[in-house]
Amino acid sequence: MIEVAGLRVVLPPAVVAVDGVDLTVGAGEFVVILGRSGAGKTTFLRALNRLVEPTAGVVRIAGRPLTGADATTLRTLRRQVGMVFQQFNLVRRASVVDNVLAGRLGWAPTLPTLLGRFAADDRRIALDCLAQVGLAELAGRRADTLSGGEQQRVAIARALAQAPSSLDPTLTNSIMDLLKRINTQRGLTLVVSQHQLETALAYATRIVGFRRGRVVFDGPPARLTPPAAAAIYAEDPGP
Amino acid sequence: MKRTTLAIALAVLAWTAWDTGADPIRLGRGIPWLLDFVRRMLPPDLRVLPAALVGALKTVEIALLGTAMAAALALPLGFLSARNVASPAVFHPARVALNFFRSIDTLVYALVFVAAVGLGPFPGVLAVVAYTTTSLAKLYSEAIEGIDRGPVDAITATGATRLQILRYGVLPQVLPLFLSYVLYRLETNIRAATILGFVGAGGIGFYLQTYLRMIDYRAASTVLLVTVVMVMVVDAVSSRLRARLI
Repeated sequence: MIEVAGLRVVLPPAVVAVDGVDLTVGAGEFVVILGRSGAGKTTFLRALNRLVEPTAGVVRIAGRPLTGADATTLRTLRRQVGMVFQQFNLVRRASVVDNVLAGRLGWAPTLPTLLGRFAADDRRIALDCLAQVGLAELAGRRADTLSGGEQQRVAIARALAQAPSSLDPTLTNSIMDLLKRINTQRGLTLVVSQHQLETALAYATRIVGFRRGRVVFDGPPARLTPPAAAAIYAEDPGP
Repeated sequence: MKRTTLAIALAVLAWTAWDTGADPIRLGRGIPWLLDFVRRMLPPDLRVLPAALVGALKTVEIALLGTAMAAALALPLGFLSARNVASPAVFHPARVALNFFRSIDTLVYALVFVAAVGLGPFPGVLAVVAYTTTSLAKLYSEAIEGIDRGPVDAITATGATRLQILRYGVLPQVLPLFLSYVLYRLETNIRAATILGFVGAGGIGFYLQTYLRMIDYRAASTVLLVTVVMVMVVDAVSSRLRARLI
């Protein structure tokens, strides 16, 4: 469960990216965040893991406050939240399996990993997660030799490796199908930022609309009427 | 504005030419002496070839050992003086210290180390280490500052510790660059190490200086030829390795 209360993020020099957001995401929900670019979707997601420091407000992961947590607590909370980035953020020169192994860093002891050593279990989990996204045969390839779609799957496998459990190896072509399977089969809570309205409606169990750093819609896809969608995507008034 | 700048620049150049006694006529008068010097160097005296090769080997050793040690020593310094990794309290003093020590040339370090530990290749190695450590640290830190933030964010998000973030988010991005800088420094250090012998810090420069002092120009030319071949071989090998890294 993710609980957000009064979250406000001001980015330097003085850009209010998230402006007082209250949101509770229950376990197993598939939340899609909609909004124009610059609406605060990405900053909001980054704040859920404190990759950006909130200016005010509270974020709780599974009941434990992430905001204000010391470094050790922060790390234990972070390893419960897998992040998949828009640009995938893989280490380009590293192999695919090494990129997925990075998902185990939060669980592995520091010293051996500094020497590049991981426990056999961690390696098994990494390969397993690669299989779950349908890329087992690419484990040894360098990340930057993969297509964009494949890199996105590697990024998902890295996030899955943080909380391993079983999932049938996939043959699906669509990333959203893959995420849906992860959501239903593994029961993982998903919060996804999306530009495309139709995609959001097809997969989400809940839609959250962002506009200028605030939540302007929150409800099931069925309730997202054309006027409500228009409100999310409305042009900003000029300065 | 532009005209004034140009006029000032020209005036400065004219003054430096006058003050250094730069004189094309004097150079013209010197040409016969230059030709005479070259004539006296030919043909090279190949009897000193074994000595020259030993000297060249020493020079390569000085450069190799010095560069390798500097490559390792510069690692922590590089991270400490990178703006995006170290805290301001650390990286500002680190930057100042690096700039200070980097402004001293290898040859000057050699003079100091010869005085401290005596003649031979060892002070040469120390001199190469002293200069190369600071210059590599500067190059390392600039490479670190130029990394892609994305993988660092991704590794941070997994709950990794600070050291793990450096090891898995930063190091893989900069390592090929680091190695390429080290090879480049090795090339320049081979050249720097050839003249270290002039101040008593061992290597092929020692032979060159000795033969020049003995006015044995034909022996000196053999040493020069060996130097040229040595530098060319190291450059060729190193640049081929570098091309593979990038």
